[in-house]
Amino acid sequence: MKSSYNSHIKRIVLGLLIFAVVGFVAKMVLTPKSFGKYGPYRADAIDEEANQEIRHMTNASCLSCHPYEANIHLTGLHKTISCEFCHGPYADHVKAGKVYGKLPVKKKEEIKVLCLRCHNKAIQARPGEVIKTVIMPEHLEEQKVKVSHTCDQCHHVHAPLKYINRAKKIVGIKEKS
Amino acid sequence: MGEPEAKLDKERRAFIKKVLNGTIAGSLLLVIPMPMGAATPEVPEQIPGIRGKKWDMFDQRFAFIVDITRCIGCGSCCVADRREFNVPDGYYRTWVERYLKDFDDEVYVDSPHGGFDGYQSPRTDIEVEVRDTFFVPKLCNMCKEPPCVQVCPVGATFKTPDGFVLVDRERCVGCAYCIQACPYSARYLDPVTRTAEKCTWCYHRVRKGLLPACVTVCPTGARKFGDLNDKNSEVYKLLHEHEVLTVLKKDMGTYPALYYKGLRREVV
Repeated sequence: MKSSYNSHIKRIVLGLLIFAVVGFVAKMVLTPKSFGKYGPYRADAIDEEANQEIRHMTNASCLSCHPYEANIHLTGLHKTISCEFCHGPYADHVKAGKVYGKLPVKKKEEIKVLCLRCHNKAIQARPGEVIKTVIMPEHLEEQKVKVSHTCDQCHHVHAPLKYINRAKKIVGIKEKS
Repeated sequence: MGEPEAKLDKERRAFIKKVLNGTIAGSLLLVIPMPMGAATPEVPEQIPGIRGKKWDMFDQRFAFIVDITRCIGCGSCCVADRREFNVPDGYYRTWVERYLKDFDDEVYVDSPHGGFDGYQSPRTDIEVEVRDTFFVPKLCNMCKEPPCVQVCPVGATFKTPDGFVLVDRERCVGCAYCIQACPYSARYLDPVTRTAEKCTWCYHRVRKGLLPACVTVCPTGARKFGDLNDKNSEVYKLLHEHEVLTVLKKDMGTYPALYYKGLRREVV
């Protein structure tokens, strides 16, 4: 085939055209859907993140099925504490409105460890107006009880001063100011 | 002739039984308070004005405030965070640091297990007289100019128009550039999926009107989260009052949306 005077231009244009078409098709195929809707990323990833499973609910959702605990918890000093912190997340207990698993209830030594997470005076940086702190075992000695006592033998875990206030009322002790 | 009588007898018995059962059950219902909504527990809206409205991607402003004067280092936030996202052991989306200062103004920082077990005992590995100590919870700063987004080569991490910095797990190739770029060390590489992970301020909860998990469980109110478009929200009021509010590493030019109340200059 005899090459005409402009065949090299034709070849270059054809080459560029093929490059453009292949490039365009590749871009169409390889770019994920919703890419570039808000910026150089996949906009669907936002919805994926938003639709993740919620595992923690609120205290209100726990207490709506546990009215007995609600009565105690909401009247005590521990009302700001989340149920799910001590007992575990809602999602491990209820699924689609049905009870699905049992959540553990802390006992004995575990309770002591749990209480001292917040109430240990040995850790400074716990301001008195935020939290009452004690030193163990001095607190037990001061209150004249056995050193082997666990916290929940005197303090109700949901309302720490429940029994103590009741006892004070019976005995007739006035609050120290 | 005995048959119809017997039949009548049975019917009468069944009828009496039914009536009795009905009355007993009815009176019991009146006496015993039934747990309300046992099938579908009501979850009250924690951030007002989000539910029942279409989410406007371009008209959202949120802020997070950590009040370190109220933090007692109980580690509830770390526990809740780990449970909410099933974070593998040894990795932290949020953590609590303990700062100690001695009389020579030397600073000692530690964070055993990221504060996950709480702070049960004082620090024993240093032999100095401690003058001052405080806790600093850390999490993603949700920068307005996020360095992690700048360095991502595949567009897998991005800042949404509503102000959250998120990770696209499908696109992430696990190169870990963002982990090095983050000035706050808020990111880690998930050992299972080999993709970058970070605190999202519980984006999935916020979109449904709930507070982030760590804010929900904080017993002292040291962590606060809220809508800045809502002038009645606590964060709006705090940000517009004369409060000591600072951000971390201001000189990095990242403009975080996470503010610390009562932060001290030692904290980095």
